[in-house]
Amino acid sequence: MTLGGPDRESSIPGMPPAEAAALAREHGMDQVGVRPPFGRYLRDLWRHRSFLITMSAADYNSRHQQNVLGQIWGLLNPIMIGAAYFLIFGLLLETNRGLEPGTYPTFLMIGLFSFIFISSGMNAGSKAITGNMGMVRALRFPRVILPISISITELFATLPAYAMALIVALLSGETPTATWLLYPVGIVITFMVTTGIGMLFARLVYAVRDASNLVPLLTRVLRYVSGVFFVITAYSEGFVQFALNYQPVAVCLTILRQAVMEQFAVDWTMWLAAAGWGIVLMVAGVVVFWQGEATYGHK
Amino acid sequence: MDTSKIPAVIANNVDVTYQVLGAGSQTRDDSVEGFFGRAKNRARSQVGTRTVHAVKDVSFTAYKGESIGLIGRNGSGKSTLLRSVAGLIPPTGGSIYLNGQASLLGVNAALMKNLSGARNIMIGGQALGLSRREVREKFDEIVDFADIGDFINLPMSSYSSGMAARLRFAISTVKVPDILVVDEALATGDAEFKARATARIAEIREGAGTIFLVSHSAKQIESMCTRGLWLDKGHLIMDGPSSEVAAAYAKKYPARKTAARRPAKKATTKKAPAKKTPAKKAPAKAAPAKDTPVQDVPTTGRPEGQ
Repeated sequence: MTLGGPDRESSIPGMPPAEAAALAREHGMDQVGVRPPFGRYLRDLWRHRSFLITMSAADYNSRHQQNVLGQIWGLLNPIMIGAAYFLIFGLLLETNRGLEPGTYPTFLMIGLFSFIFISSGMNAGSKAITGNMGMVRALRFPRVILPISISITELFATLPAYAMALIVALLSGETPTATWLLYPVGIVITFMVTTGIGMLFARLVYAVRDASNLVPLLTRVLRYVSGVFFVITAYSEGFVQFALNYQPVAVCLTILRQAVMEQFAVDWTMWLAAAGWGIVLMVAGVVVFWQGEATYGHK
Repeated sequence: MDTSKIPAVIANNVDVTYQVLGAGSQTRDDSVEGFFGRAKNRARSQVGTRTVHAVKDVSFTAYKGESIGLIGRNGSGKSTLLRSVAGLIPPTGGSIYLNGQASLLGVNAALMKNLSGARNIMIGGQALGLSRREVREKFDEIVDFADIGDFINLPMSSYSSGMAARLRFAISTVKVPDILVVDEALATGDAEFKARATARIAEIREGAGTIFLVSHSAKQIESMCTRGLWLDKGHLIMDGPSSEVAAAYAKKYPARKTAARRPAKKATTKKAPAKKTPAKKAPAKAAPAKDTPVQDVPTTGRPEGQ
């Protein structure tokens, strides 16, 4: 049968919503464009885990493809940035108050590389959806894969730098102890913090495009208040010190330094705070991102 | 046919709107005088968003084994509606129910432009739900079907549009979807590939799958589809057997012989469909090869990567 005709001005009417829903239920059909229940969303994410890894690895490999030296830049970049920061803060400004002599390079490298990991994860994560519209409009998958995969890519990109920080530590006289085993644990916690913030920002920037202009500002401010190149406790006191010390970026830097550097004893309160931030940000990130699942693709 | 009574897609009162950013008021008031007045005027035209109502109150029920052609002029909402059916653009109103998994085959072929074809196969295949091993097993089959040879290891940005479209088609159909949505993907590529793609589509339909096809060509809809949906300015205005819908469409918008020449008399256009009737009986494989669908700019949908 033919419905309507070439001269209609409006759509052919449908059935009442309840009838459509009943017909769909009768045949076990799923509604699309609605947010799936949280449990199913997580199961769906788990099913896509190999897709997640493939995407992160592919993204990482494409990163330096346009250069002649290719992946070598993954190692050259942190060496050069580390040297530049050491020149400015270590030799020119001497922001090494509160540190034992000779330990500033290790202190700086661990802080700097962790910070670059977190800040580039935040920047790239905030564009997880807006920058991948091609994928969003071509393939169906739990969208939370996008910000997570960006974080994993950043982690891959930072691992050589983290290894280099250990080499600097050895060269400047640190001796490997049992606490070095905490170093990878600290990296995992840092990854959780980065991913959590990335997921939150991805949803925020998708909902309010203009927020993407504020993310670089935020990372710049964080660079100066997270103790990347100075010891927070040596330059502040009271409530300010407490706030600076326990903000999520600073705790990551602190626990990694405690793991490697002898002069910083492992402080379990700090580790607990860091793990707490990691878990809270991850959970909040996934939940907040999932709540917007049915909106991604509209603009 | 019993299978034809099992619904594959129920779309009910579907509305889709989307926002275009940086498109402000769009109109400039030319009467404004003075430097500051004009500067403010110019700034305002670039600020804010506009909402585009692409699909309006569309309802239909598609059954298993049907192949449905969507026809309509540029900007009538065909691509947007199909992206909603595929679960990629959530509808802003109404509801869409699917029986099984939908897969979209779009004109925007590269998933990740700066990655090689081989990596895109891995990513696309896994996104469709295949395991890494399954993708590897089907890898050669995909490369053969796409027929891109040594280019498989080069970044997709170096592919021609035809090569990219072939690869994308091969990836999208590697796992036979319950519902395949083809968005003008057959407009790119040569006649030989079109024939192969048509055969693959027929295969999917025989497996009781449902096909959606977007086209500007009434002829293509008639030869490849069993049912036609006509969209006009976002409204679904006609729904019926493809031959009837295509005929009505061809009558309202007579097909041009060449893009440059517009038929002056109605007599010539009335002849056109009559002359083509034998083509309808020819095997489906050959038909689309001969057709040259009116190729519009492939941006009928929405710009990617915004």
